[in-house]
Amino acid sequence: MPTIADPLIKPYGDFALYLRYSCEGYSAPINDRILALAEYLRQNGNWIDVVAAYETLVASFDPSKLSLAEAQKQLSGAVQAVKKADHRRSKPASQTIVDIPVYYGGSSGPDIENIMSKSGLSHDGVIAMHCGPVYRVCMMGFVPGFTFLSEAPSALHHPRHVQPRLSVPSGSIGIAGWQTGIYGLSSPGGWQIIGRTPLSIFDAAREAPFMLKAGDNVRFVPQNGPFPERGPSHEAGQ
Amino acid sequence: MIKVLQGGTQTTLQDAGRIGFRHLGIPGSGAADKLCFALANYLVGNEWDMAAFECALGGLHLKFESDTVIALAGAEMWAQINGQNHANFTAVPVKKGDILTLSFARQGARSYIAVAGGLTGESFLGSASTYLPAKLGGRSGREIKAGDLFDLNAPIGESRTLLKGYKPYLSSHVILRAKPAPEFDSLTAQSKRHLFVSAYKATPQTDRMGSRLRGNKLDLISGSTVKTSMVSSPLLPGTLQLPPNGQPILALVDGHCTGGYARCLQIIRADLWQLGQIGPGTRVSFRRCFLSEDAAALTRRNAFYGGLIAGFSF
Repeated sequence: MPTIADPLIKPYGDFALYLRYSCEGYSAPINDRILALAEYLRQNGNWIDVVAAYETLVASFDPSKLSLAEAQKQLSGAVQAVKKADHRRSKPASQTIVDIPVYYGGSSGPDIENIMSKSGLSHDGVIAMHCGPVYRVCMMGFVPGFTFLSEAPSALHHPRHVQPRLSVPSGSIGIAGWQTGIYGLSSPGGWQIIGRTPLSIFDAAREAPFMLKAGDNVRFVPQNGPFPERGPSHEAGQ
Repeated sequence: MIKVLQGGTQTTLQDAGRIGFRHLGIPGSGAADKLCFALANYLVGNEWDMAAFECALGGLHLKFESDTVIALAGAEMWAQINGQNHANFTAVPVKKGDILTLSFARQGARSYIAVAGGLTGESFLGSASTYLPAKLGGRSGREIKAGDLFDLNAPIGESRTLLKGYKPYLSSHVILRAKPAPEFDSLTAQSKRHLFVSAYKATPQTDRMGSRLRGNKLDLISGSTVKTSMVSSPLLPGTLQLPPNGQPILALVDGHCTGGYARCLQIIRADLWQLGQIGPGTRVSFRRCFLSEDAAALTRRNAFYGGLIAGFSF
């Protein structure tokens, strides 16, 4: 286990704390630590929201019940507790891999040509490379179902669109810089869209509304043929 | 039963929100102005957090199909019942056949219409609050529209009157007390000055998710490690963000749970309710909060309104 320097902790307004581990780009050990810390905080203390991102975390509290100084003390304590536990732990928490079927290119992945021309890879080469790794779900959000994954292979890295699209269909798989991820809802977005999954990552009507959570592992599985558009029955009530 | 004759600019069902799910990408939602929402419920004898209509900018017309008690609290929308003026922040009995009309907001942006016994909406994660982007809560997760019917629930308490001092001050120039957000120190000195000595104006791109403001351009220190476009990091309601064009965006109750823009300011908790009264054209200024001034402000506000409305805190 590599040594991770203690994080920066500072107030974020009067009802939250911001925490950041120092790293350039994506660091799996730091994301492990952040997710473990988030879990620890949800089980210990009276935090309202604990949101973990790649290397940052924000924990909010009710300042009429917990002073800023006390909140800082509790968060620092949690950082040390998780650091100790991390040294003892031998393997990552989640080992299961969720397969995500993806229809790459065409109208499902209109930006795949951008990735091809930048990387020099063929259509199939981009697909093979994107499907290669097992990705970690690093965080959920900015909206329900949006899945932020760990780093894409470096040949696929590509900046966002300068002018975001007004609407990206739900299930779209995109690339933004080194990040790759899944749009859980149709929303505006600037990511380079290379494919689309028919799975609903978030569905409020389902018994388990959230298909994925931070810490899960996913793998993309390329599909042949046209994207199976959902029937009208699926859109009912929307 | 209440029949909606006209939904207005944007009317949704809201309660106190679904709190504690931001790590799943689910924002808190709930009443954008928690204080006026709680006061509307207080006036009709409800618990403070029962579901009520939130009417943004006006235009809501309701017809009552049975007798009940209602109250309006929030933006001044020249409310009338059967053509007779109805005062804001008061409860009034309505009879079968009565029609309530709200015209366009003159001051403030959102008005809350509470009904004795509360309204019922579809619940998700313990809240009936409407979150339009994911179609959650309320009535099929959408805005209220003409033809919608709402059942009445049995009243749970007597209607009340609001003592004068408790009526919140609503203005077309909102002043928000703010503290530094994570990237505040990366702003140029001039940008920090702009934030605290000038007024910004809310543009038409203002809704429950956020308000795009226009005013003096903000910049980050050149050569700063913080860029206007960063790796996604958590975001809170009441955060003032700085996108690459230098014109800030204020996140509201339905705002994204994470974001990639520099976070400049965070509005203090005691002032978050005012975000709900920002509409297109509202002027917005920020006042710097130092040290524990914010905690004292919150304690005072909680004591003041918590003493009036059982269970309420900011």
